[in-house]
Amino acid sequence: MAETLLDIAMMHSDTLIVRAKQGDQGAQGKLVQLWYKRIYNFCYKFFLDHDMAMEASQKTFISMCRSLSSLQDNARFKSWLYKIAVNYCREEARKKKGSRSLSFDVVWNQDAEDSPQWEQSSRRYDSPERQYQQTELSDLLQEALLELNEEQREVVIMKEYEGLKFREIAEVLNISENTVKSRMYYGLDGLKKILERRNITKDTIDYEL
Amino acid sequence: MSYKPDQQAWMDFLYGELAGAEKERMENYLSTNAEARQEFENFKQLRSMLGSVKDKEVIAPPIFVGDSKQRFFWNTPYVKTIVSIAASLLLIMVAGKLLDIRISSGGNEFKISFGAPAVTQPVQVTPASTLTAEQVQEMIQSSLSDNNLAMQASWKESQQKLDASIKNNLAQNSGMIDQLVKQASSASQQQISQYVSGLQEENLKLVKDYFSLTSNQQKDYIENLLVDFAKYLQQQRNDDLQIVQTRMNSLEQNTKEFKQETEQILTSIITSVGTTPSKETKY
Repeated sequence: MAETLLDIAMMHSDTLIVRAKQGDQGAQGKLVQLWYKRIYNFCYKFFLDHDMAMEASQKTFISMCRSLSSLQDNARFKSWLYKIAVNYCREEARKKKGSRSLSFDVVWNQDAEDSPQWEQSSRRYDSPERQYQQTELSDLLQEALLELNEEQREVVIMKEYEGLKFREIAEVLNISENTVKSRMYYGLDGLKKILERRNITKDTIDYEL
Repeated sequence: MSYKPDQQAWMDFLYGELAGAEKERMENYLSTNAEARQEFENFKQLRSMLGSVKDKEVIAPPIFVGDSKQRFFWNTPYVKTIVSIAASLLLIMVAGKLLDIRISSGGNEFKISFGAPAVTQPVQVTPASTLTAEQVQEMIQSSLSDNNLAMQASWKESQQKLDASIKNNLAQNSGMIDQLVKQASSASQQQISQYVSGLQEENLKLVKDYFSLTSNQQKDYIENLLVDFAKYLQQQRNDDLQIVQTRMNSLEQNTKEFKQETEQILTSIITSVGTTPSKETKY
């Protein structure tokens, strides 16, 4: 329910955008509040790393506040924002590739550390076991997502999780709609293969759940 | 039936973005083609699986963007610095003007003055018309001598006072010291006599104790000695008596034996004397 309300607020944020463009810092702050979760989750799925996702999403919003005045069409705010986010994600990914240091998350035995997901307090009404399996499946799926190449991953996340239309994705990535669709097709196909290879199918999940 | 959807059509259909005739054709295709239906089902399953990944909750951190207003020419740091230096110089100059500060140097001196420097007039010594140098000298001499006299008098006075007070003090002090010494000596004599008497008593006691102890011991010893000696004498006498007794006994025995022997001899003689004639007679 809360999410739908948030979505409605996002859809009707035109007046906010107008005020933010005029330099109203309160309106800018509200825009950040409204969109932060979406952008963060996009970045998180892109990296599967909290710190990098935070870094990229903060940069995105700083950039948003700075260059909002250059936005021509208010209706294209969403694709414009994702464009900034995608650019920062690519930049961060390049930086990570360039740096030889290992992220702590790579060294850290995450399975051992957070297998009982104590900190995940959402869905509290679920049974702990179900919650655990849910998070485990979620991790597996996100790891599979990370195996896709960058172009496919961007498209799959934007389409599947961010709910952008193919037209909007094409706008974000500055490519044709058909290219977006074929990337999506190959992305889904790739995911299917990865999950099959790991022996994760709908049946096994249903059985486990 | 020759329709075969491309990847774009697949994606549009899967995400419900296909409409009109295209959508119908796709639906027809799926209804006739089992393989395609299976593929569509697979895609749907994959989508539902992907749908189980939930969003992570996150709290938006406060984002502060520095004011990105256009910087005007006079708002740049260089201009600001230069203008501030100029302003402070101007301030100093205005203050200098108001306070009328004058700075001058020359003749081995550096002067900072407020207002026009006071011109120091050379002091002109105007000779007094009434007093000559000698008179002044005399006056000085006389006043000096007066002063000296007064000083000497006061010195003497104070010296006398000092002497008197010192003498007084000395006398008092010596008296007190004498008293103290007397007290100390008397106290010490008494103490010594007490001490000596104490010592004597103690010695006496010690010697008494010693003698009593030693005399007792000696008495005991001598008594013991006498007893022992008496015992020895007794023993000796007993022994002697026993010896004498035994001797007497042996003597007695001897005499007895001798007596018996003599008796026997006598009897034998007697008997032999009595019997010999019979024997001869018998012959």
